[in-house]
Amino acid sequence: MTRWLPLAAALALAVAAVIVLVLLVQPAPPVTQEQQAAALAAELRCPDCESLSVAESRTAAATAIRAEISELLAAGRSPGDIRAAFVARYGEWILLQPTSPWIWLLPIVALLAGVALFGWWLLGRERPRRWPGTPALDAGATEAERQRIHDEVELLDG
Amino acid sequence: MGGLGRLRWLVIPLLVVPIGWLLFTGLGRDPRIIPSPLVGKPLPALSGETLDGAAWSSATLAGKPALVNVWASWCSPCVSEHPLLLDVARQHRDDLQMVGVLYQDTADGAAAFLAHYGDGGWPDVDDASGRIAVSLGVTGPPETFFVDADGIVRYHHVGPLTEQVLSEQLAALGLQP
Repeated sequence: MTRWLPLAAALALAVAAVIVLVLLVQPAPPVTQEQQAAALAAELRCPDCESLSVAESRTAAATAIRAEISELLAAGRSPGDIRAAFVARYGEWILLQPTSPWIWLLPIVALLAGVALFGWWLLGRERPRRWPGTPALDAGATEAERQRIHDEVELLDG
Repeated sequence: MGGLGRLRWLVIPLLVVPIGWLLFTGLGRDPRIIPSPLVGKPLPALSGETLDGAAWSSATLAGKPALVNVWASWCSPCVSEHPLLLDVARQHRDDLQMVGVLYQDTADGAAAFLAHYGDGGWPDVDDASGRIAVSLGVTGPPETFFVDADGIVRYHHVGPLTEQVLSEQLAALGLQP
């Protein structure tokens, strides 16, 4: 059990480092109304193009959305309000990032679960051969039987 | 530790069941189908100018079921659904209001389309700026909204209309064929 501890500790450290990095890399909140509008446009998916944000696209829909963002901001609506207004029309689909940041932890959790499962499988596999005091698999066989096992395995190996 | 070893058989189902579920639900989904959050909510207030130059507002739709069809003359599926719309307009002259929303198109293009494929007589609102399409959450024509007499969106159809969709959804709005 104890030989897994350093590995588990290292993994926990790595996960913590990733979380801290993700939090640090997030941009500072925009200040001017224009910056706010640009930040919002970058968060919304352009409805009439594939895999572009509203900020990156020059289609009519993207232009209309940018105009509406500016109008709503000028009318004093908060970025959260504006995001909700577009979600109410297009659904969560319009947001390029999921609303909950916890979803980013899912792959890490899945990876940890995979490592744990693999370790569990390794432990289970090795036990019969390595555990002290476990009788050898061919205990109780006569010398003739051992020879026969050896010969047949040789035969199988070609 | 010994107990864990005996539970090894769990590893396979623990891996296979979630992956199988993911494939089963994920691959069957059409990524182009976007559930419309407008269904069950009031039609947003829309306004604009029709191709005839008259002012139009969605307030005029109140009191009767309505069909809002987003289309464009450059959109080929719009051509295939157009005869169905003409039929509906003929059958429900008195109990259904229809309005076309012209999506990223020119007035000339739309006029040529109507001259060629037939003009059902319902108003077409020019949405060159895309404001109406954005209010409706439209991703591309053709899209059709079925609105009940109280102004609530009952169905949002993405793609060309079919006879089946039309008859089902018009019946849901209380219209007899």
